[in-house]
Amino acid sequence: MGLDRLAWRILAARPLRTLLTTLGVALGVGVLSSSLAMSAGIEAAVDRTVRDVVGSADLRVAAFLEGGLSEATVEAIRMTDGIEVAAPSIERRTFLGAPVTSAGAEAREAVTVVGIEPVAWSRLHELELVAGARLARIDEPSALITESLAEADGYILGSELRIQGHDQPTTLRVIGIIAGPGPVAGAAGRAVIVPVDVARSAFGLEGVTRVDIGLADGVSARDVAERLAERLTLEPYVLSSPADLAEGLRASTADFQATTALVAAIVLFVGSFLIVNTLSMTVGERAREVGLLRAAGATRAQVVRFVLAGALVIGIAGSAFGLVLGLLLGSLMAGSVRALTGFPAEVSSLNAGSLAVAFLVGVAITIAGAVEPAIQAARISPVEALRARLDLPATRRARLGWLALVFVAVAILALLAWPPAAGATGADRALGVYAVLLAATLATPFVLPPLARILGSPLAAFVRLEERLARGSLARDRSRTALTLGALVVGLAMIVALGWTAQAARNAATAWLADVVPGDEVVTSIRPIGPGEAIRGQLAAIEGVRSVTPIATFDLAIRGLRFDAAAIVGADFLADGRLTFIDGERAAALRALDVGGAAILPLPAAERLGLGVGDTISLALGAGTTLDLRVVGVVERSIPGDGGEAILVGWRDASGPIGVPGADVFAVRFEDGAGPAAREALETAARDAALEANPLSRVQGAVTDALGRVFGLFDALALVAVLVAALGIVNTLAMGVVERVHEIGVLRAIGMTRRQASRMVVVEATILGLVGAVLGAVVGLGVGAVLLFLSGGLVASAGLPWASIAIAAVLGLAGPAIAAWYPSRLASRVSIVRALKFE
Amino acid sequence: MPPILEAHDLTKRFELGESSVEALKGVSLAVQPGEFVALMGPSGSGKSTLLQLLGGLDQPTTGAVVFEGEDISHLSDDDATRLRRERTGFVFQAFNLIPLLNVRENIALPFTIAGQDTSRGELRDRIREVITLVELEGKERHRPDQLSAGEQQRVAVARALVTRPSVLLADEPTGNLDYTTGGELLDALWKSCDGAGQTVVLVTHDARAAAYADRVFVIRDGRIRDEIDLGRRPDHSAAPLIARLAQVGL
Repeated sequence: MGLDRLAWRILAARPLRTLLTTLGVALGVGVLSSSLAMSAGIEAAVDRTVRDVVGSADLRVAAFLEGGLSEATVEAIRMTDGIEVAAPSIERRTFLGAPVTSAGAEAREAVTVVGIEPVAWSRLHELELVAGARLARIDEPSALITESLAEADGYILGSELRIQGHDQPTTLRVIGIIAGPGPVAGAAGRAVIVPVDVARSAFGLEGVTRVDIGLADGVSARDVAERLAERLTLEPYVLSSPADLAEGLRASTADFQATTALVAAIVLFVGSFLIVNTLSMTVGERAREVGLLRAAGATRAQVVRFVLAGALVIGIAGSAFGLVLGLLLGSLMAGSVRALTGFPAEVSSLNAGSLAVAFLVGVAITIAGAVEPAIQAARISPVEALRARLDLPATRRARLGWLALVFVAVAILALLAWPPAAGATGADRALGVYAVLLAATLATPFVLPPLARILGSPLAAFVRLEERLARGSLARDRSRTALTLGALVVGLAMIVALGWTAQAARNAATAWLADVVPGDEVVTSIRPIGPGEAIRGQLAAIEGVRSVTPIATFDLAIRGLRFDAAAIVGADFLADGRLTFIDGERAAALRALDVGGAAILPLPAAERLGLGVGDTISLALGAGTTLDLRVVGVVERSIPGDGGEAILVGWRDASGPIGVPGADVFAVRFEDGAGPAAREALETAARDAALEANPLSRVQGAVTDALGRVFGLFDALALVAVLVAALGIVNTLAMGVVERVHEIGVLRAIGMTRRQASRMVVVEATILGLVGAVLGAVVGLGVGAVLLFLSGGLVASAGLPWASIAIAAVLGLAGPAIAAWYPSRLASRVSIVRALKFE
Repeated sequence: MPPILEAHDLTKRFELGESSVEALKGVSLAVQPGEFVALMGPSGSGKSTLLQLLGGLDQPTTGAVVFEGEDISHLSDDDATRLRRERTGFVFQAFNLIPLLNVRENIALPFTIAGQDTSRGELRDRIREVITLVELEGKERHRPDQLSAGEQQRVAVARALVTRPSVLLADEPTGNLDYTTGGELLDALWKSCDGAGQTVVLVTHDARAAAYADRVFVIRDGRIRDEIDLGRRPDHSAAPLIARLAQVGL
């Protein structure tokens, strides 16, 4: 029999331990492969989305201002040298069907309407129809809808479709059904394609939203961009390429991918604890056999190979099983990404490369974890090993120093497998967190004895002997206990850290909205409501309503950069006490907005532009015209825009030179003591006007819910780390029982009951859990502080994450208690007679 | 006076996969209170198995063990545990001390297991008494690894005696000791028997150890082959026993 077969037999001799370790590797590889699968899925979805949205267009000119790109601009684009096709289109969000007027009626979700020039558009975009025909003219009252919209809302070919526009609904007939979710990013599959003139008339527009450009053969995009820059002087615009769009899409999932990759690396790291511990235990247990092998002439290299062969079996089996687990986990993650971002991430696109990487990383980490036990084994002296009473502590103990090597191995492999979209910053953050966790694990053996004594003392009042023996057992091999405990601490710390980060993000979002929105209720409109419309007056007239203030969000171009902006009524914000000023005088600044020619900057914009109170910003308004606004204040937080915080301007400037057609949000403040009747009356009035009213708390709730879903997924991944740690605890406790079987036999012989023997193991697990929970909370707060500090969001007011600490405490106690079940049974079933023969 | 411990036609069979081994094949004996009895025989003769049955560590396949008039052959696990904790004391060949407990804690272990406070009153005095008996004064705070082999085994004897058990059962207690320390241990056992009336059942294959006993049962192939009545003898000379053993071919 070769040594490799002996290695296999040794693994088979301890099936539970081998199984648990294999499962630990599988969970690590599972999380890694699902993370890779999701990254690959996101990459594929980015490519597909770019293809769907841009088609074969080489460039896209998008309007910057609400008014869109004028016909003259579109014509200028068409006439530019090197451009073969220019396909203008309009994109607007709206609702379908008649306005919902009855209180009980259920509002449907919004749709995205895209108005196209059928001929030009079809030269750049391929529309796959599952039924019906394509659009032919630019003014026919027809529509194509996506298959998912048809299914969701029950439309078929020939159905009548009513689009809510700026005035009366526009009625169209469905003449074609587009395959799948359709060609519109962010529409969540609810898209309607109509002729461009129909869209123009429905939404009362003159300009178009964008123009997709196909270049003539051999023409470079850079040359055309330069020509466009010379020719397009009427309105500000954004020129982008498919690569820009792809980059934007990738950036939107970068943080998500970075955090997933970080947690995957941590789960793998925790898995490596299990491997180091298990193989060290096996080597210790088999020291006599190893000594025999050495005495019989086996070389040190052969012994090393013998241990590594066992690890290889575990690595291959665990990694293979992990790939299967990864596919399941990946599907769950992709579902989360879809639900959170509307981004069509799939894991079906998982490629062989991702599978191979995850598999190899799993095997490599198992081998890395096995190197130290293998070296231990090679150092066993045949003389010592064959003594009658074997006591070779060095053979049993896993040296923590070795973890540093495993840490480096995992870090290198994780960086190799790091999702490109997650970026270098994410990698730095991950490395920082990862290092904190390693340091905490290495410190564990030093803090374990005093902590175990302190936390075990309440138990000693009830089960003194068991507590003393349990504590002694934990101290018997501190390195092993530290590895076991370290894994638990890492898992629990991640739960606390993620919980704290989530709480800080939720608090920040809630406080932000409360600080900047001058109302208890937010009424949103899908179309701009002009200053001349009666809606604002109608809402203000409702009994119990104190104020209704209109807000519009739009984009501004300053020094060639895009900024979010919002039009507000300064007097309303002044009266309501919103906005926290860092610079400038509050009353004067808000009054100046209403007078015109003034702007208030949010701190990030002020820093980005390097401007302060008294400086001037110059807005590009198209046709070579600019509008200069004096900076009258800098605020800590401003109204949220699409990509950041909005620069605040007054309505006089917004409606006038900037050309904002109307408000898309009304913030409504109730009188003090206004009852639910006022809220109900407002919500009814809003529905009658096809507006959507939501209490601010619900808006805040929606934001925190979305954050909760993101962090919920990360928590689930951190739970995998706790699960892997629990497997390690089962292994360690079971090994403790096996090692002490003789001792337990003696205790039983002199009168210890089965229950006491079992309780001894449970108390050991409980002490482990208590220490783990306390250390997990402390280390978690440390990791959380690092995460919050690096993301610039560490605020004193964030408060400690008591809920997460409580969850970690419950998991810290419940995990080891459950893990102790089998080892405690093992202890209670020790046969006295056999145990005493054990020597 | 009725016997304190009796074995009635004990058999014990061990199943080893498809085969089985009959370790005891119908053993009967009786031990009187305060008696020092030795069970002698070669390795594999069944003497340790018999001791385990007599002490409630294991149960016979057939037959009965009567301990102070009570049949303990088929006690529940809890009752057997209580018997071991309160009425028997064990000393094994391996010293079987708990490494992380000191001398005093190891000796007090049966009380600690029973949840009794050993720091005051009678229990404290009893612990001190057995420490004196085994001559370990001044080493109460030592851990097992700080003691010699003989001292460790004396701690095991003290632990077995501290509960004042009805019967002290010792399985090759001198097996790991040299000649001198083995003699010291046997002296301690004999002292407890002769001085305090402790009943002792000793398993040994060493004629010198067995010579401390009042009676010696010779066991071979799972059966009692001979019973040698030496009587109480302060000199513990092994010569008469060796002569008798020679007669039975041991």
